[in-house]
Amino acid sequence: MMLMPPFTLHHPQSVDEAVGLAGDLISKGEAFDWVAGGTDVLPNYKWHINPKPHVISLAAIPDAHSLSTCEIGCMVPLASLTESNGVHPLLVEAASKVASTLIRKSATVGGNLCLDTRCFWYNQGEDWRRSIDWCHKADCGTGADCRVIPNQNTLCVATYQGDMAPNFMVLEASVVLIGPAGERVLPLHEFYQLDGMKKNVLEPGEFLLKVVLPDDVMSREGRYQKLRVRDSWDFPEAGIAASWVPGRMETLMIASTALESIPRLHADVVGEHMVDSNTDLDVIALSKAIQKSVKPVNNTALPPRYRRSMVKTLTKRALKALLGGR
Amino acid sequence: MRSDTMGTYRQQPGSKGSETRRDGKRVAGKQRFPPPGSGGSEPVMRPRDLDFIPETVGGREPKPAGDHIHDRDRTGTTVGKPMALVDSNAKVTGQAWYGDDVRLSGEIIGKILRSPHHYARIKSIDTTRVEALPGVLAVATGQDAPNRFGVLPVTKDEHAMAVDKVRHVGDLVACVAAVDEATAVHALSLFDIEWEMLEPVFDPKKGLEDHDEPIHWRGKYHLARTNVQKRVFQEFGDRSLVDSPHASSHGSWTMSGVHHGFTEPHAVVAHWDPNGRLQLYTPQQVPHYTHRALSTVLDVPMHQINVVRTFVGGGFGGKSDPFPHEMCAAILARKSGRPVRITFDREEVYWINRGRHPSHIDVKMTADDEGRISSFDIDALIDGGGFASFGHVTSYYNGVLATAPYELGSFHYTGARVWTNKPASGAMRGHGAVNTRCAVEVGLDEMAESMEVDPIDLRLANLLPPHSRTISGFRITSNGMREALERVREGSEWDQKFRQMPLGKGIGIGCGFFISGSGLPIHWDPKNFPHATVHIQVDMDGGVTVHTGAADIGQGSTTAVAQVVAEVLALPIEMIHVRSHESDTSPVDLGSYSSRVTFMNANAAIRAAIGIRDQILKAAWEMLGYHPNVLVLNDRRIYYKHDPAVSVSYLEALHKAQADTGALIARGAYRSPPMGGVHKGAAAGLAPAYSFSAYVAEVDVDVETGLVKCTNVWAAHDCGKALNPLAVKGQIIGSCHMGLGQVLSEKMVYGRTGHLQNANLLEYKIPSVHEMPHVEPIIVESSDPEGPFGAKEAGEGPLLPILPAVVNAVYDAIGVRLRDLPLTPDVVYNGIQKHMKANGIDDETDLNPPRLQHGSLQAPLVQRAAEHKDRDRLRQRSEDTSAYVNGVLFGFDPNRPLSEQLEGWREADEPLPEQLAELGFAGRAWLKKEQRQMEDDA
Repeated sequence: MMLMPPFTLHHPQSVDEAVGLAGDLISKGEAFDWVAGGTDVLPNYKWHINPKPHVISLAAIPDAHSLSTCEIGCMVPLASLTESNGVHPLLVEAASKVASTLIRKSATVGGNLCLDTRCFWYNQGEDWRRSIDWCHKADCGTGADCRVIPNQNTLCVATYQGDMAPNFMVLEASVVLIGPAGERVLPLHEFYQLDGMKKNVLEPGEFLLKVVLPDDVMSREGRYQKLRVRDSWDFPEAGIAASWVPGRMETLMIASTALESIPRLHADVVGEHMVDSNTDLDVIALSKAIQKSVKPVNNTALPPRYRRSMVKTLTKRALKALLGGR
Repeated sequence: MRSDTMGTYRQQPGSKGSETRRDGKRVAGKQRFPPPGSGGSEPVMRPRDLDFIPETVGGREPKPAGDHIHDRDRTGTTVGKPMALVDSNAKVTGQAWYGDDVRLSGEIIGKILRSPHHYARIKSIDTTRVEALPGVLAVATGQDAPNRFGVLPVTKDEHAMAVDKVRHVGDLVACVAAVDEATAVHALSLFDIEWEMLEPVFDPKKGLEDHDEPIHWRGKYHLARTNVQKRVFQEFGDRSLVDSPHASSHGSWTMSGVHHGFTEPHAVVAHWDPNGRLQLYTPQQVPHYTHRALSTVLDVPMHQINVVRTFVGGGFGGKSDPFPHEMCAAILARKSGRPVRITFDREEVYWINRGRHPSHIDVKMTADDEGRISSFDIDALIDGGGFASFGHVTSYYNGVLATAPYELGSFHYTGARVWTNKPASGAMRGHGAVNTRCAVEVGLDEMAESMEVDPIDLRLANLLPPHSRTISGFRITSNGMREALERVREGSEWDQKFRQMPLGKGIGIGCGFFISGSGLPIHWDPKNFPHATVHIQVDMDGGVTVHTGAADIGQGSTTAVAQVVAEVLALPIEMIHVRSHESDTSPVDLGSYSSRVTFMNANAAIRAAIGIRDQILKAAWEMLGYHPNVLVLNDRRIYYKHDPAVSVSYLEALHKAQADTGALIARGAYRSPPMGGVHKGAAAGLAPAYSFSAYVAEVDVDVETGLVKCTNVWAAHDCGKALNPLAVKGQIIGSCHMGLGQVLSEKMVYGRTGHLQNANLLEYKIPSVHEMPHVEPIIVESSDPEGPFGAKEAGEGPLLPILPAVVNAVYDAIGVRLRDLPLTPDVVYNGIQKHMKANGIDDETDLNPPRLQHGSLQAPLVQRAAEHKDRDRLRQRSEDTSAYVNGVLFGFDPNRPLSEQLEGWREADEPLPEQLAELGFAGRAWLKKEQRQMEDDA
């Protein structure tokens, strides 16, 4: 059914008003979603996937529109991430690979970072989901089991398929979260929480206001490798971002997306393979190690074994392009 | 102005506008027509366009294939000129009215309750709570429409809604109409249904086995207790050739089901007018079948139903069945007394499906030591889903459409279509021919490799000539296969690239062969009623109204009809008005399937236009004193051939012709000539003409990821004569896009639970503009003797060659044969890994792409191809009219039955008992007996 379920749309004009509004709804026991560009939430609503009676738009909040090299508001459309706006080239590259030209006009940075996790047992119409007797993530009150890995009723394994997160991670981005309890700033890689339903650390009534990048972010150079069947529309089936400060091997960072319920920064694995600047990095060994550390499941277009195999190739390509002849 | 003195063009000559009579009364002026020769937007007659008048009748248009029966009807007006489709303005300005654009006052919204189960019996449906919901105006279940229907009269197995059991998830259970969509959606949750679960079947191989509860029951014709809907056996030729082949190839294929992916979802509006007649608005390719099925299901005579075909937002075969939701809308409208609109969402579109059959195809072929193709052995097991649809025909097409363009020593085909608990497969662009064609063309590539010959030369040396018969008895008329192959070879610089490019870059060839109009009208004997009829009416304004039932589904059939009428009458295209939307005003037409419309409908239109032209020329004869044989029609004027100053305008002659009869009326019809063999299934694949095509594709394969990108395609298609080269090129490029989808990314994914996992346009991966290669369309014109101005189809055939061309190119690039379609990156990657393991290769970049060293057969094949080229030219121009049947290449006399000349020659439609043990997958259906035979045995 493609009929949008009815909801009340709220337009707070400031951060305080938004947080206050959220607090009111929570105290009344009313469920709500935040909406930025709406390209993720609204299609899900049309499919009757966990729709809420209230939707709070962040569009009218001035702070959410900030855009500079070191600060990007949650409402900034992906199409605005351009070098002429002073945005880091890696983010420009990643943004240009998201969905399609048309969608990038509406889709936002905040929406992409908070993207709902995806699964082919979940992103379906209501009739379809009824035919499988629902699933853990949208159980419609039935307590249904996970359809990807049956007989484990604790964790949702839906896949996070945002493109921007791993790229922000390797640029050492932090996120500014605002809620009833005030403001807090977290490194982006600590923002995500390994569960396809909870997805991230946002508390009730809290939202991601902006992304902050270090002052020296422009000293980093990065590459993003995205695996997808078509060069438009498709979510990543696997994605690897890597960056470093040229010449300083110890600054190398690698992050992955679309392989698990959260994007991940692979600091440990990179650390284990780190070498001093005078030695050649064993790119193949590192790529294999990254591959070994991720565990995709069968819930996207391409089979998980293949996606996992590609992690090695994507990492290798990102690193070779990044490190050049080293 | 000359018109003032001649005056004959006036309604009432002599008027000078309004005047006041002596008694003071003012009388209105008499209406004048525009000056003679007017019409169209050009004030001046255009000179005769000799470039578009055949050289055979004094023009400059080359006719390498000789003269054509329609040459003398050419006026150089539109035929052969690229032009925008006549309905393109309506489409680009958003004014075209598609199914969901129809809005009738007082309409209500219908919604369909769909089965959540794969296979279940409905024990009871309680609608009490639904009816009690405020805003609900009508509820219907299967009990409201017990009559069965289906697109083919032999396999009527559908109901408007499930009567006894549901056969797949998404099958129709009940429907409801309410004041708005939200109420209707809510109402769907209020049905109380008691189900009895049945054991579903998903794997077509399982469908061959006996089952407690077969999905349909065909009574005494049912094959044991299996789910086999149709089995086919065909064998022709000399099977002894197979035993000691010089070369052979064998490939087992798995092809996923694909969907048409048309833009417009199904939508229908039904309305019973104040006189109790049903008006049904629907985007249909075949309105006439819907018309018939509605009559059956609703128990209403056909003349009390008017089917209005809206604009069709893409069909490709997916809108050619009569659909249950069309019945539902009519039933709900009858119950509620209000117009009812039902519009599908994309998920529902996939559930009604009718896409290409998921198939298991096995192709073996052999060649003898002279490089002749001694056998094709094809086994095709196709997954029909829950209903028959066009499947009876598909079961034949998977085999018989592989009997050309090559001359074969023998042909053996076993096919079976099974019911499974999935959405029904049906007809899709290239119906039944695409998958087998891919397997056959790749098999030829592989066999050529083992023979150490160039695959294009192997093909060129084994082509059937023009005016010949295939091994199964199809009558080939015009045949541009050779020219198509030669032109793509040259255009792609094949000889410099094939087997010579570096790893990851490849080039491949594929050919195609397709029907241009099914020779058998499904619902009647062609002897009793024509395939197509066209009416033309010309009133005093000079505009020409053409009534046809041809369904324009975007392919441009309306434009083709308008073009041929404009050509015969030498009128600008804007003076031709085609009316094709309503069954009340359209003569019966079979609609848009089997690539029949241009061939059959335009032929009928030419005949009707000639009828009008003859009436006008007769009037001109009376006015000018010269016989029509020496009169020339050109752009709104008629003149004496040897003195153009002796002339009348079109309008003057028209008005003269109308003097005693009023508006001119003419009609034309087309029926196919008698043809074909007499064996069972001989009519399947029979067509008055066939199209031929050859493509070369170039690909880049990323050996590390398995991603395949098609970069260039040279696409030659023999459409007989391009009436509108722009439309033909559009069809070629569109076919490439659609075929690339099937070969590289599109598939209907059925998961481990049997559910269709990707019923949406994000996960069903139709190629985007980024995946589209550069396509070089090459039009080959073989001038078909029976086609309208020589034309044949261009809508379906061009799809066939792109699949094998890409698969062969991938092999050329990486040296790995892949036979699972689509070639998604994981399939290619796994294929490469398996190949590396088997050959002890550690790194993908060390793969060895294949190389070709010509063997001893190459030179004789090139020699034979050159001889055949001369043979074909003489036959094409009818300078050689000797008989030619498949078998001449093997030394047989075409004038005597082949069975008399060779003891082993066989034509069979059932296997011999000793063959049963060695039949392929689909062939195993022949191990089962029909119920009536089992009864006899008992």
